[in-house]
Amino acid sequence: MNLLAISINHRTAPVELREAVYLKEDEIRPFINFAKENQLKEGLVLSTCNRTEIFCIPGNTTLSHEKIESLLLKFKSSQNVTEENFQEYFSRDAVKHLFSVATGIDSLLIGDNQVFKQVKDSFQMAEENDFAGYIMHRVFDAAIRTGKRAISETAISEGAVTVSYAAVQLTEKIFSNLSKKSALVIGTGETGEIAAKHLAERGIGSLAVTNRTQDKAEKLAQKLNAKVIPFAEFRESIFKHDIIISATASPEILVTKDDVKNALKKRSNNSMILMDIAIPRDIDPKTKEIDYVFYHDLDSLNIIVEQNLSKRKAEIPKVEKIIEEELDNFWEWYNSLQAAPAIKDLRDLFEEIRNEEVEKNKNKFASEDQEKLDIVTKRIMNKILHHPTIELRKAGETSDSTDSATKIGIIRDLFGIGTQKKSEKE
Amino acid sequence: MISGIHTINILLPILYLATFVVYFYDFLKGEKKLVNIKRVFLFITLFLHLIYIVLRTIAFDHPPITNVFEIFTILAITISFSYFLVELVSDIRGTGPFIIILSFIFQLISSLYIQDLTEVKEVLRSNLLGTHVISALLGYSGFTISAVYGFLYLILYKDIKLNKFGLIFNRLPNLEVLERLSLYSAVIGFIALTIAIIIGIIWLPVAFPKFSYLDPKLIGSTLVWLLYAIGITSKYLGNWRGKRLVLLSISGFLVAIISTILSNFIAQSFHSFY
Repeated sequence: MNLLAISINHRTAPVELREAVYLKEDEIRPFINFAKENQLKEGLVLSTCNRTEIFCIPGNTTLSHEKIESLLLKFKSSQNVTEENFQEYFSRDAVKHLFSVATGIDSLLIGDNQVFKQVKDSFQMAEENDFAGYIMHRVFDAAIRTGKRAISETAISEGAVTVSYAAVQLTEKIFSNLSKKSALVIGTGETGEIAAKHLAERGIGSLAVTNRTQDKAEKLAQKLNAKVIPFAEFRESIFKHDIIISATASPEILVTKDDVKNALKKRSNNSMILMDIAIPRDIDPKTKEIDYVFYHDLDSLNIIVEQNLSKRKAEIPKVEKIIEEELDNFWEWYNSLQAAPAIKDLRDLFEEIRNEEVEKNKNKFASEDQEKLDIVTKRIMNKILHHPTIELRKAGETSDSTDSATKIGIIRDLFGIGTQKKSEKE
Repeated sequence: MISGIHTINILLPILYLATFVVYFYDFLKGEKKLVNIKRVFLFITLFLHLIYIVLRTIAFDHPPITNVFEIFTILAITISFSYFLVELVSDIRGTGPFIIILSFIFQLISSLYIQDLTEVKEVLRSNLLGTHVISALLGYSGFTISAVYGFLYLILYKDIKLNKFGLIFNRLPNLEVLERLSLYSAVIGFIALTIAIIIGIIWLPVAFPKFSYLDPKLIGSTLVWLLYAIGITSKYLGNWRGKRLVLLSISGFLVAIISTILSNFIAQSFHSFY
């Protein structure tokens, strides 16, 4: 199979080099056009913060991995990235690599199911730009099936593996229904923003944000439909919130034990969760001594993250087994796209139908005509199959294996030859 | 029929133990495919237990509520049946082994000491006694389940506070759910015990000439009733919640156990019939 793949990722290049070749959504379309102009017939372009990958079927046999890499570097005008920053895959290895990416076992955060969605999006992009042909379709279908199986049959994507998500997971172990709870996020930097987003996604009842720079808080609040509390006043409103997540860069403690004690009194001892995900810490750690207060800092949240990561790592062999199974299935299908077996299967199918009909109807003919019936139907069948057989032989002799596989694949699909055999097996 | 009853009597603790083992294994492993298997185990056990009670009632001409070992078998089935309903309605997993183990213990004691009594005191054949005992048992089952959920609440509460994120953290439902389950079980238990006490007050002076309001079991039950009344009222008045409430539930359960032991095994009471 003439499938080439190149990958620059978190293992092969530091972030500044990955950034240099990162293709934004609005860059992918022009890049695909550029690739098509340069003999890339069909393919898939996947670009995320951790990886940029190109899978392609070249239009001619002279196209190499190096050529694809140079196309990308030329398109992005990247100077510092070298060939050494790329991993290269060919044929079965390329398909296997795509499956590994789709299942998340190749990700920086093992089991990250965000990448599964990104693979789907990249294929949609290829389709919209007329860059996904028959073979790539099948590769993609198999990759998606593999990704789905990994998610449903293993625990590769279970549990929180980021601190901000672990904070949300922990709140769900204390409160049963986040839609009836209110949260306050102190600090709207990157970490605070992610935590606020997670809370919003989980359907928090009401969300408020506060930040030293009011503008930033307002921007985030607008995005998440949250309230803004002026930074100077947030202490007075602590009691109104069931969950407080703090992620500022403040060098001193922002929320003291007394602040929390007072808030708890006003709340009639309704439980409060305090998540301090800042360094240095924003909330006095002594608040953990207060009953009905659940205080957690980065260290405690990291325990959850580490535990979940080890659980996910333990699932990798199961996912690899699924990948091997799907790879074998895919390869079985791909090997059926050879000319000789396809011709034989096609003729067998026609012969089976002819034979069945002759057997069913021969009693309607006089006994001396029954032999003629056999001969005539065989002749009709041979005439119908003559042209397709010649075409299939020609396809087998052509130097473009992808073209020939595509033709044979379409014929198999049209007459249901492959699927018929598979269902017989099952 | 008698030999059938004896066979089921031996089988029941084994079945409760097997159900407990399946539930506990699921608690350790958390595999999705075990969900239905464990429910089948519990269902079969409960079904056989129901047959056992019906057979005993027919064979010995009275429902098995006339002495503590007969009552234990009823407690075993009511506790597990209540849990079965909770699991079906709420789809809450992970708490089963902690409740089914109690059914196992009650059934084991019952199976070991239960006797084939065909003759019981005439007073124990009263319909009012049946209602009194069944509502009291429902009450105590409710308190038992409430205490188990309360106990699980305390363990999870402590684990979260101390950053212990092990099996308990991963398998148990969240604190609010545990608190709610503990409260609802206590409320159901409280209503049932109230009915038992009302019937008792009406019926006891009529049935027992030696009746005394200073009877240890009566004092114990009243104390238990008062504890739960305080807890439930405090909850609904909005002051008590969480840890304080479940501690009260556990205390109520302990008082109930102590009062049962004292009145049944140590003190002389008109409540003891064997």
